[in-house]
Order: sequence, then C-alpha cells, then structure tokens
Amino acid sequence: MKELEKLLARIVQRININLRELHYDVSPFIPHLVDLRKMLKFYAFYGITPHHPLNFEFRHSSLAGSYFLGRIRTNSSMLYKSDVRGDELKQQGALFRYQDFEIPVNRDEGIDIEDSLLVKTLVHNYSHDPESLEKFFIKDTVSSHYANIHGSPSDGCFLGPFATVDLTTIRDCIIGTFAYVQAGEIGHLNIAPGTVWVRSPDVFNFLYRHPMEKLNRYINFAAGGPPQGVFIDFVEDRKEDFQRVFDVVNLEPPVLVPPNASLDRFAVIKPKIRISENVLVAQRAYLQNAWLGKGANAQENCYIVNSRLAGFDVTAHGAKIIEADLGENTFVGFNSFLRGRPESPLTIGQESIIMPHTIIDITEPLAIPPGRLVWGLITSPADLELNSMPLAEFSKIDGKLVRGNLFFEGCGAGFVSAFRDRIHHILEANGAYFNGTDNRGHAQKNQKIAFNTIQPYTDGDLEGVFPTILIQP
Amino acid sequence: MSDLLVKELMVPLSEYATVPEGSTLFEAVLALENAQEAFDHLKHKHRAVLVLDKAGQVAGKLSQLDVLRALEPKNEDLSDINTLAQYGFSSNFVRNVRKQRRLQASPLKDICRKAAKLKVEDFMQAPSEGEFIDQAASLEIAVLQLVMGHHLSLLVTRDRKIVGILRLTDVFAAVFHTMQECEISL
Repeated sequence: MKELEKLLARIVQRININLRELHYDVSPFIPHLVDLRKMLKFYAFYGITPHHPLNFEFRHSSLAGSYFLGRIRTNSSMLYKSDVRGDELKQQGALFRYQDFEIPVNRDEGIDIEDSLLVKTLVHNYSHDPESLEKFFIKDTVSSHYANIHGSPSDGCFLGPFATVDLTTIRDCIIGTFAYVQAGEIGHLNIAPGTVWVRSPDVFNFLYRHPMEKLNRYINFAAGGPPQGVFIDFVEDRKEDFQRVFDVVNLEPPVLVPPNASLDRFAVIKPKIRISENVLVAQRAYLQNAWLGKGANAQENCYIVNSRLAGFDVTAHGAKIIEADLGENTFVGFNSFLRGRPESPLTIGQESIIMPHTIIDITEPLAIPPGRLVWGLITSPADLELNSMPLAEFSKIDGKLVRGNLFFEGCGAGFVSAFRDRIHHILEANGAYFNGTDNRGHAQKNQKIAFNTIQPYTDGDLEGVFPTILIQP
Repeated sequence: MSDLLVKELMVPLSEYATVPEGSTLFEAVLALENAQEAFDHLKHKHRAVLVLDKAGQVAGKLSQLDVLRALEPKNEDLSDINTLAQYGFSSNFVRNVRKQRRLQASPLKDICRKAAKLKVEDFMQAPSEGEFIDQAASLEIAVLQLVMGHHLSLLVTRDRKIVGILRLTDVFAAVFHTMQECEISL
C-alpha cells in the first residue's frame, strides 16, 4: 500500500500549501476522512449510454466505490465512494453566456480531477467559470463526506462534511461543515460552518448562519474525530441497504417504472414506492414508502421516507425528506434535512422554495403555506415565522432585510426569479416535461444505461491504486 | 522650515497623564482628568494616557478613541457583523446593521459601568517602530513621521529613554507660527 500512502501524503501537502495563508492544516482531519484499508475493498464503475460521451482517463489514482459518467480524467487522486456525473457537460460548438459575453466552446468539456481527495462527494453539472469553459477542474482539493461540488471548479480548497459549492469557482478556500456557497467566484475565504450564502454581485446577496450550538447536534467535524451528529447517524443507519445494491450484479426493478421514468439500479428501493411518469430517481437515492408524482425527482444521496411528493418537485442532491407531504412544484435544496414525525407530520404547500441546507426538525405538526421561501433552522411554528416569508412579499424587497440570522441586501424579485428559473431548468434537465417526443431529459436518457466495473491492484506496492486506464467508445 | 527642535515642542513625561499596567479604564480616564487640572496652563488638552510597565517604561498609549472603542459591545452578534463585508455586503449595509444592533444593545450607562472594570492593556496601542523620535530631531522630521504614520503623537526619546510626548497639535501650532512668520517677511 506504499504508493497509496505516498499519494495521500502528496495530496495533503499540496492542499496545505494552498491554505497556508488561512493558517489551515488539513492533516488532523485526514485520518477520519479516509481509511486506506477500505480503499482496497471496493470496485469503481462507470456508465455507458448512447446519450452521453464516453471518455475516461484514470492515472495514478485510487477510485474505490466511485462512479463515473461522461468525460472524466483523474490523475494522482483518491476518490472514495464518490459520484462524478458528467452528464451535463458543455459540448463543442455550444455558446456559453456570461454577462454580456457569448463565448464559443472549442471542444467537449471534461471533468479534470488532479491531486485531490474526494470522500463520498458528488460532482455534477458543468463549469460555470468563463475562464475555464472546457475544463471543469478540481485540483489540490479535499472534500469530506456528502459534500457537493456542483458546477464549481475548485483549486486548493477544503470542503467539510455536507458542504456544497454551487456554480462558484473557488480558490484557496475553506468551505465549512454544512456551508453552502453560490457566489460566482471566491478566493482565500474561510466560510464558517453552517453558512448559507447566495450572491449575485450587484443584484442580491443572501446570507444566513446556522446557530453553531444547535447545528453541532446535527453535524460537527472537529480535528481528531470523525464527523458526528444526527445527519451521520441517519445515513449510517441505512448504510447496509446500500451494501446490498452494490453487491448484487443484476437487480430487477422492485417496482413498476413507467417507460418515460428512470429508476437507477444503484438506488435503494424499500417497500411501498410509487414512481409516476417522468420521474427521475438517481443512484444512491433512498426511497422508503415514498410517492413520487409526475415529474418529481430524487437526486443523488437523497432520502425520501414515508413521504409524498405531489409532482414536479425537486429534491436536490443530498436532501432528506421524512414524514412529509409536499405540494406540487416545491423545491427542496441541497442537503436540506426535513424531518417530521409519524405523529407530527410536515406539510409543505405548493410552489414553496426550501433553501439549500435548511433544517426542519419538528415534534409538533407543521404546515408551511403555499408559495413560501423557507431557510435556516426550524423546529417550531415560531422558528417558521422567523425563517420564512411569502415569496410574493420577499419579491418586494428593494434594499435590505435583516431578520434573525438572515442578512439580505439587494433586489428580492431578482433573487426569487433566479431561483424559479433554476428550478425550471432542473426540472427540464431531468426530463420532467417530456411529452413523448420533446423535452427529453435525464429521466429518459438514463434508462438504457449499462455499468462496467474496474478494480485496483490487490497486492504489492501499488495495492489500492488503479492501473492507468483509458476508456473510449 | 524652522529651527525648532522636538525637545522644544514636546510635553515632558512628568506632565503627561500616565497609569501603571493593570489599571482600569476608569482609572485611566481619571488620570487624564487630573493631568488636565494639574497642567491647565497648557494651551491644548491631553488626548491620551500613557500606560507604564513595572520598570516605568511606556508599554502603550490609550487614546480617547481607544476608550470609546472599549465601550462598544463585544457580543458575538456584533463580531459577526464585522465579517459581513467579506461576504460582499456594501459598507452602507454593514453600517446600518451595526447601528441597528447597537441600538438594540445595552444602554450606554450599563456599558460604561462594565467598561470601568476593563483593563487598560486590553485596549491600549503598543508603540510601533515609527512612533519614536529623538528629542534632537528637527520639526521637519517630526512632521514627516506624523504624516507617514498617521500618528496623533510621537514618543520622544533621549538615549533610548522616553522623556516626553510630541503632540500633533503642538507641531501644527509650530508650523502655523512658521507660516505666519513667512507671510510677514514676504
């Protein structure tokens, strides 16, 4: 395992060099992020479909339990049970719009992972960096459990557990545990755990901070120990169910799936599931007693338990919905944790937007009215009053709003419209509006997908390292 | 500019307000008040207190602004506001939020009561390299150091020992006087 040890040391040194200005040392976190012995245990796999590019180059890397789709290159990197989904990458000839520019894409975009360690991380979407159109780079970066790197090139960064960077180029930054950043481009920033920051320069700026003493109960990651809290307990309790879907080679879909819907064979399907038309259930999603109406989706690392989604609902990467009833067109953002109880269910009215990284954890029934913007930490009706607002009212903000831990500056209408456009785009990309001929999306394109596996050396100095592998059509 | 030397313009250390390390802010303000009364012949009032260490050396300077800064509430809420600028909020927004939170904080009397128990060393400014000037230096050099370092006063030394304070206000008065003389002689 010598080479694997050297590889890890090299990655750690590189990120520490990048973060030296922030006086940050990732070393004490590493032993609790990756267990080298586990890097030997799992195969890696990739998807083949007629609708996606097939172009992989794996060099000097360890890829245990990871999945690849599209056009991806890894070099001197370690990926543990990560999901690198290159099915929304830009294609040659496309035009990328940025501010007043229309920039032609010269060649097919690829995801390029170099000198990085990604643990149970989701990489998806495409580079939103106008300076790097054809390369979605992830370089000298360490990301922790259930982090999302979504359309966000990264150079020299550390992402804590359940952190999300969304449509943002990040350089030499620390993205704290359960922090969410969507800010275009940032550098040399230490984003505190539990920060939710959405900024469009000169249009709006939204910043919420989870109260640390309460957030620690849900997730905390301190040097010298593993990530801990309710979120970790929740996923650990369901870990064995995933073991089965990864161990068995051929699995028949346990439920009826309409021909225009897609249920990934690497999703966990427990009893009492309803999959309606144009539904997308991505791999590593977990469904138990869940009703998914037309066009609803459950993206990677989502858990939908004892819940009903009326239709055209978005459950973004890593969101968890438990004992809840969602009206049509509701959006549940990245890594949100919505937990009702059998005796105290959660109801979310139609057209509501639950901001990324929202926590709703209730022991009394709670009904969120339709058309609401919801953020932060909510455990009672009083919290809901403080941390939510009718979207129509939020749209009227022109200047500033300070409420509880929320700071907002700019144009409320611009903020709401940006979110609505994004939700529409997600539904469109996922195939929610497919009519039999037009508007084909992931739900339709991912049906005829085949999976191949690749494996590392099982002994010797290179134990755990995959040989150089080139895969092309 | 002038033949004046620093030693001719400085206030001797013996006439300046000083307190030992470990004093409270209230004791420092009291020392300032006493110095004003004892040396009321001085044209301009003192605006700072020197903090002396056990050896009687100047360990720091406590300005009126430092005292007011000490009165500002230090709760987590306000320190959070200080980081808003790094997230791209406008200075106007940050100022408004700070004002709003300040008004919601304890009334000034409560804050003053607490501040009177605070120690001077937590708020004093340790002298920086460019803040020392030899007593034999010229007025030109003094002006240069005050301007370059944005200082309100300089610590005057003789054989590396602090013997006085050169205040901006006294230097300004001397410069003004020189300007007047130039005008008359033209």
